[in-house]
Amino acid sequence: MTSMPVSDAVLRRLNTLQLALAGIIIMAPVAWMVLSSFKPSFEVTAYPPSLIFSPTAENYGELIKTTPFFSYAVNSLIVTVGSAGIGLIFGIPAAFAVSWTRISWPAILTLAARMAPGTLFLLPWYVMFRQVGLIGSYTALILSHAVITLPIVIWVLLPSFDNIPRSVFEAAQVDGCSVTRILWRIALPLVGSGVAVAAILAFVFSWNYFLFALVLSNGDTKTLIAAAFNFVGEGSTQWGVLMAAATLIALPPLVLATLVQRWLVAGLTLGAVKG
Amino acid sequence: MVALETAVIREGETSGQNQQRLELAALSAPAVLFTIGMIAFPVVYTVWLSFQSFSSTGKQSFVAFGNYAKLISDNEFWHGLWVTLALYLLSLLLQLVLGVWLALALFQAERLSGIVRSLFISPFMMPPVVAGMMWLVILDPSLGAANYILTSIGLPSSDWLASPTWVIPTIALIDTWQWAPYVALIVLGGLQSLPPSVYEAAQIDGASPFKTLQRITLPLLLPTIVTATILRSVDLLRFFDIIYITTQGGPGNASNTLNIYGFRAGFEFFNIGYASALMLTLTTIVFGAVLAFNRLRGAVAW
Amino acid sequence: MATRSIVAGFTLCVIAAGGVVSAAHGADFDWQKFHGKTVTFLANNNPVSQALLTHKADFEKLTGITLKVDTYQEQQMRQRLVTVMNAHSDEADVFMTLPSREGAQFAAAGWYEDLTPMTKNEVAPDYDYAGLSRALLTAATYSGKLTSMPMNIEGPVLYYRTDIFKKCGVDQPKSIADIETAAKKIKACDPSITPFVSRGLKPALPYTFSNFLHNMGGSYMVDGKSALCTPKGKAALDTYSRLLRDYGPPGVVNYSFPQISALYRAGRAAMDFEASNELRTVMEGGERLQDTALIPLPPGDGGQVPTAIGWGIAISAYSKQPEAAWYFVQWATSPTVQKMMAVQGIAPPRSSLANDPDYRKWIDEEPVRKQWQAALDVLAAKGASEVGYPIVANPESREFIGQAVQDLILKQKTVDQACADADKALNTLIAQK
Repeated sequence: MTSMPVSDAVLRRLNTLQLALAGIIIMAPVAWMVLSSFKPSFEVTAYPPSLIFSPTAENYGELIKTTPFFSYAVNSLIVTVGSAGIGLIFGIPAAFAVSWTRISWPAILTLAARMAPGTLFLLPWYVMFRQVGLIGSYTALILSHAVITLPIVIWVLLPSFDNIPRSVFEAAQVDGCSVTRILWRIALPLVGSGVAVAAILAFVFSWNYFLFALVLSNGDTKTLIAAAFNFVGEGSTQWGVLMAAATLIALPPLVLATLVQRWLVAGLTLGAVKG
Repeated sequence: MVALETAVIREGETSGQNQQRLELAALSAPAVLFTIGMIAFPVVYTVWLSFQSFSSTGKQSFVAFGNYAKLISDNEFWHGLWVTLALYLLSLLLQLVLGVWLALALFQAERLSGIVRSLFISPFMMPPVVAGMMWLVILDPSLGAANYILTSIGLPSSDWLASPTWVIPTIALIDTWQWAPYVALIVLGGLQSLPPSVYEAAQIDGASPFKTLQRITLPLLLPTIVTATILRSVDLLRFFDIIYITTQGGPGNASNTLNIYGFRAGFEFFNIGYASALMLTLTTIVFGAVLAFNRLRGAVAW
Repeated sequence: MATRSIVAGFTLCVIAAGGVVSAAHGADFDWQKFHGKTVTFLANNNPVSQALLTHKADFEKLTGITLKVDTYQEQQMRQRLVTVMNAHSDEADVFMTLPSREGAQFAAAGWYEDLTPMTKNEVAPDYDYAGLSRALLTAATYSGKLTSMPMNIEGPVLYYRTDIFKKCGVDQPKSIADIETAAKKIKACDPSITPFVSRGLKPALPYTFSNFLHNMGGSYMVDGKSALCTPKGKAALDTYSRLLRDYGPPGVVNYSFPQISALYRAGRAAMDFEASNELRTVMEGGERLQDTALIPLPPGDGGQVPTAIGWGIAISAYSKQPEAAWYFVQWATSPTVQKMMAVQGIAPPRSSLANDPDYRKWIDEEPVRKQWQAALDVLAAKGASEVGYPIVANPESREFIGQAVQDLILKQKTVDQACADADKALNTLIAQK
């Protein structure tokens, strides 16, 4: 069977077309959500759905007026930065050691926590943190979220460390550098973009996680995502407000991801090849 | 020269080897200790809970493997296992096929613009809770935009998440929307790492693009695809977020995955002992799958 | 008969008896007794708590107690409560509870503090304990222990569109059979309107289905056995599921109050059988104010036995300061606060308030509020609190009721199969001790 010779230009155009199609499918629901958040409150459930409407910020106003949205956002930020920080502080040396020794069980161990359903941890952690009086504290939330961020950091950084030629370390050892010194002085600067990717991913996945905060936080420390359920409840059909909340909650991860998209894609693809 | 250097290092190593090993251990110690500190108690506690029965009258009693025995004779458990596997296989298949297809398209494009990259990252950066709420509104059979689009182009409307037949495919589609781009990016990495010489050889042999894909690219991509499979399996077998937001296991019990079933047994019907047994069983399944795929990755490595 | 009649309705006022019980201890009652304490309140984010919490500052000012509120949507609230209680934590002093759903289970688990002594010894002079709905108090009493105080009275009521009824030549339904006749006419007369909508979501639908079952003369349990397969049980299953299947919106099996109220509020449903509490929601924006009428579910073969339940406010058995917590519970269920909540659309579980001038004024503002009040009077006078099986595992029993109805809506089983399967599972559940 011989195929018709097709010119490269046509092929390329076809390819662009299918990519554009994929792009539209990917973005359409998000665009719809954002659009809905700017509709007058009751138009969200209007049928047929309206595409032309006079945009309004009333949903956002309502959200900010009726919920402590910003203090939830601050809680989320504290927990997210804290857990990403722990993930990096514990994860960077661990990834380096695993890469160096090729003994992989520490990396796998950190992943084990991700293989159990999140609900399994709820009651035990509640009991555990209560023993030390940490229920409702940022500490408990940060520690629980660090269980999510730590394996992300390790597994994103592993291939980056693996990619550094051994000879670089060997040369340093000849100069009498200790392993720890090699990590901080030589290896880390070489995997800068990897660290950035790890930090961003840790941040995003911690920001997005809702289950632990449901039982470990209290009214003052509740994270945005755990509070999200509350933005729609009995006694209101304001789906516009819900869409406004959804848009605002999704904004930080999306903005961050866009800012570092180049590295992020490079980091992900690298991780896959070696991972 | 090189040999000499290596010899020097070897000598240095023998003297400082213990020191070095200790240092390396110290580097991974915080991560290891932290993880053990966080998960050891929950695991032990859950195992203990799974041997207890919390009867509906509130009394707690030791029942040994009673909860596990109940599990085996519980039709809803087997149904949950079936739902879990069906959702898992369907989602995985969709994501791998679409992911590879997208990756090939991306690979063909000469360079990726920032917009394209951002587009592909966005879905899986989005909080699952938000994605669930978003789709819930779009897919509502009476009020949502999805049916409007379908009917206005002359297609029949669907009940989506409210249909026992379509609920699993619909959830799989939502998850695919979110994660196929991720698989695509991983596979793209694999494509970029393939040696160009392979393609050149194929071109000289005059192989058609389809043959090249089938005979050369895909087999070489296998390790990457297995990696993607492992990463997705861990999440898909524990499928929770989207169902928790959208259907809660319904309609009927059509989307009652093991994870949802365990959650409901514990937190809606207050049977913590049975829920613990369910969750540990699920954990074992996920663990087993990961181990099996890890073996597979070893087998397809090149 | 496990049905508990809610006799002490608004109509049977016993104002005279009010205040007698509490007067003995009222003299030395001091609201400031627990000044400086902090009480935590785990609340369900619904109209009841929303109305209550608008007056939070009043409570703090009155008592000097700091009230920490933790609000969640119902399911998340339960998830948190289960965790807190299983850990025997004192974290939640006060929590909201549905006696009709989880009362027996939580009482058996020992999660409720017995409120009886407090209602006797620590009450303000104007608390009027006797004025609270006797039936709701009884419904919250287990083995002689009063587990929660009633916050409101509510039940499903039929909202319907007078303009559509008029246009299609339909009269107000006088019986359950009339509902179906009306639905049929509306479907023929205006196909763009959903004739009837109610709950189709599995765990949520027993709330509305129970009213159909009772009105049609059925009962969940007869002689300790599940009775869905009795002729009356089957008729109720058949009628309820047929209404939703043939006249309900597509995807009704995922419908609970948010979707139902949204659909009706948007003007796309002619009849809506939903909680009386949703009045405020469906009136949001004011579009339904003029074209909506409201009645209790009309009678069937068994007469009219509306479902009437209420949210309760309970003190955790693990609270370290039940006395201070009681001050909040007492304030939240006091005549003063319940009156303020009443004009926010929360039907008070107190007969004495029915004739309160401020409340009457609020009621008289809109015709639909009058009908709402009239329906609630019927609920209070004739209501039954049985939603799901009167057994400890009530929450789980609702699953099987919901399953049977859904099987029928989705045409997956015949009525005989669906009721037989449900009865079998429910008898197993009943036998469990």
